[in-house]
Amino acid sequence: MTRLLRVAAFLALKSIVKGNVGVIILTIFMLILVTMNLLFVPGLINGANASMNTILIKTYSGDIIIGPGGDKTVINHVDDLIAGIESIDGVVAASARNDINAYITFEDERVGRVITGIDPKREKAVFDVAESLIEGRYLDSRDRGQILLGVQLAGADLEDIELYSSSLRHVHAGDKVVVTYSNGLEKQYTVKGIFDTGFIQSDLQAFVTELEFNSVTPNMNNKASSVRVKIEDGTDPDRIIGRIASLRSGLDFQTWDETAGLVESMTESFVLINQILNVVNYLIAGITVFIVTYVDVINRRRQIGIQRAIGIKSHSITISYLIRALFYAIVGLIIGILAFKYVIIPIEARHPFEFPFGPAYLTTKPVYTVRMAFALLVVSLVAAFIPVWRVMRIKILDAIWG
Amino acid sequence: MLEVRNLSKIYGLGEVEVRALDGISFTVADGDMVCIMGKSGSGKSTLLRQLGLLDQPTLGEIILDNEVVTELSEDARAMLRLQYLGYVFQEYALLAELTAHENVYLPGMMLGEKGIDFKGRARDLLELVGLGRRINHYPKELSGGEQQRVAIARSLINNPRIIFADEPCANLDTISSKKVMETLVGLNRDMKVTIIFVSHDPDDKRYARGLIVLSDGKMIKEGSQIQ
Repeated sequence: MTRLLRVAAFLALKSIVKGNVGVIILTIFMLILVTMNLLFVPGLINGANASMNTILIKTYSGDIIIGPGGDKTVINHVDDLIAGIESIDGVVAASARNDINAYITFEDERVGRVITGIDPKREKAVFDVAESLIEGRYLDSRDRGQILLGVQLAGADLEDIELYSSSLRHVHAGDKVVVTYSNGLEKQYTVKGIFDTGFIQSDLQAFVTELEFNSVTPNMNNKASSVRVKIEDGTDPDRIIGRIASLRSGLDFQTWDETAGLVESMTESFVLINQILNVVNYLIAGITVFIVTYVDVINRRRQIGIQRAIGIKSHSITISYLIRALFYAIVGLIIGILAFKYVIIPIEARHPFEFPFGPAYLTTKPVYTVRMAFALLVVSLVAAFIPVWRVMRIKILDAIWG
Repeated sequence: MLEVRNLSKIYGLGEVEVRALDGISFTVADGDMVCIMGKSGSGKSTLLRQLGLLDQPTLGEIILDNEVVTELSEDARAMLRLQYLGYVFQEYALLAELTAHENVYLPGMMLGEKGIDFKGRARDLLELVGLGRRINHYPKELSGGEQQRVAIARSLINNPRIIFADEPCANLDTISSKKVMETLVGLNRDMKVTIIFVSHDPDDKRYARGLIVLSDGKMIKEGSQIQ
């Protein structure tokens, strides 16, 4: 076996060193492109996912969502609960939210939405909505008769936003809107601010202060529909959930990713697109190696016949071609991965792809890179083996003299 | 000893059968030097390829040291070629990507016998055929005669019992031809290697102690060593 490999390595080395430099460079160049393409699409998807997940957590869900468990509709004694949660190591802040269905009317437009009562100070500690204002100002804890609207709800005369046609269209900060609550109460509000987080689900929200909310639904004092919790980076949410559950039983817990329905379906679509592109990329890699090897073995059929005639075993010759294919693939992979990491990623970081939810930065995951490299090596080996195997089946005399 | 019994090679061309070799039988003793002659198309090269185990006959047997080798698998025949037989092709058949030295030691590397310095032996063999100063030249940098002598050196790398040479001087000028034939004669004389060569030049008979003459695939016996 050692002899087989030694002769194979010798033949492979000689054919690379003395082979056609142009063909070798072109083959490796193709494999570099394939490698970068195999890294680019998942890198972009990972970047977009990370961007989406961040914005989802920071503007919509928080890291952990606590709901009333069982058939309850509210969490009681929420102030005590929040104090307990914020004392847990790894928790940054917690904010109680109360929801009520309502219709919001402005001029001829009428939109049904959930109005959420919040403590603005706590919300600022959990969410970044306050940093996404495009008009007006954020709510203050003592505000009454004021409402904060997402841009997809207000419209703000921005006709190019995704849900403009189903929004209030022309609402700006300072305008008066009428809110008709599901309990029958109707009240006029001044729009204090409009926010645009770039994430559609977040920008459909409408907020009033806890003080205002309690005036509309007086029986909700010290109660909440949900509590949103922000935890420190790198903290295990399950550990925090366990700690909170030990503070009070009967609560319902969700992590941010369990609420990401839209994001998840987008991710699934991206993953499917990625898989399709990967198959195409592996085919391109395989066909490139196949063609190069096929043309080579056809051109060198006589030489292969001579090698066999002087006693070089078919296995050695076959392995020599596999080593060449591995050489192409490994060089292509190394250059492709380095170019992606040290050229493409830094350039993209300076000029990131802009998505509706914000910039997406290319990223690479070592596990994916290793898996991709392994798959590309296997594809190259199989692609090289087929033409060599066919030539090895030809009789020696036919190989030498045709 | 090489023994050939009733050897036939039949090619099928559609419904037509072509008997390239027809019932050839002879014996070659160890250390002999035999010339196979005949007109073009008489079956000389076909016979040599059967003997060199590059092809399988349709009928008959080739017996090498009392062992029938015609029915062996491709791998086993490859091993026999590597260990016991050397083959010199009419068209030199060197590997273009390898130097003269590498061309010669490659089969030695494949056999890989322990304790054998095949690279040193390859150098010695190239010295033996008069190419000691050309060992690092590639085939395209050598003349036809030099390439053929490299091929002869290659055929010797694994100490073969028999060397088959298929019209080794067909593409060479007179001087180069003489050098190549004298090299083969020297090997036969000094190293006791059995040599069977094909030639269409009647003058080459003088180099051989035995002679096989073919005509239309059939053998005409000649020469004292041929029985």
